[in-house]
Amino acid sequence: MTRNEVLKNITAKFKDSIIDVFDKSESRVYIEIKPESIVDVATYVFKDLEARFNIASGTDCRRHMEILYHFTLEDINLMVSFRVKLSKEKLEIASLAPVFEAANWIEREMNELLGINFIGHPELKRLLLPDEWPEGVYPLRCDYKEWDEKAIRDRGV
Amino acid sequence: MSMKLRALLKSPWVFHLSTGSCNNCDIETLDCLTPRFDIERFGMILAGSIKHADVLLVTGSCNRKSAERLKRLYEQAPKPILVVAIGECSLSRGMFIDSYNCPLPLDEIIPVDVYIPGCPPKPEAIIAGVVKLIEKVKGQAQKKKK
Repeated sequence: MTRNEVLKNITAKFKDSIIDVFDKSESRVYIEIKPESIVDVATYVFKDLEARFNIASGTDCRRHMEILYHFTLEDINLMVSFRVKLSKEKLEIASLAPVFEAANWIEREMNELLGINFIGHPELKRLLLPDEWPEGVYPLRCDYKEWDEKAIRDRGV
Repeated sequence: MSMKLRALLKSPWVFHLSTGSCNNCDIETLDCLTPRFDIERFGMILAGSIKHADVLLVTGSCNRKSAERLKRLYEQAPKPILVVAIGECSLSRGMFIDSYNCPLPLDEIIPVDVYIPGCPPKPEAIIAGVVKLIEKVKGQAQKKKK
């Protein structure tokens, strides 16, 4: 399949769930989709198009929380990133870990650092943060405040 | 000088610990062991375990998880142990000073004998620092004798 066929297939199959397609360059396409349809889209891209799941990345954009799921189609040198915008009131999205195992750890990391709840994740517990870290404090959010009173933030000069 | 201290300064065995550094300081430290710089001239060799070591080299900005491991290693070390902080990160945490995961600099966690600044320090700087450490300990030992 060529690049145009792949993009045409995706846009035809998920007509209702695609919000925006941003064709950035020859090797990079951003597709914004509705959060409800992420499992269907990811299953299609991973199982039928046989793309490789690179990584997912979460960002706090002040007004909303954004997750990018990056997939690579190596034989045509194309990277497709699916953008999902979540509202801050309801930080929930279906987990992709049942579809492919590679999403397991990155979802755990996004859960502890940004506080996004992944529904249907097999074991949603901490990955990187230490045990003494308080519950409900998410360090990569915009409104993160220092909670540790013992921390020293000057160089002593 | 006591026999024990003289033996320690003759051939200080070094244990190398990275507490979450970018590996650049580690590469420079390992460079010191290569024939070009050859820190073995001063009798230093890398020890595989902290229980065999006389000097603890620390690189990296101690984060919350590795600080616990660092304390545990320091407790296991045979005393007297000398601690050398290598690189800007272990001195003052460098660019990670406001990081949520790096609350304390190294010298607030364990006592440090020598600081070697640089990002990363050159192997020459590391050798100079280590030689200064040996001189410092020798001077202290002689003072004690008097």
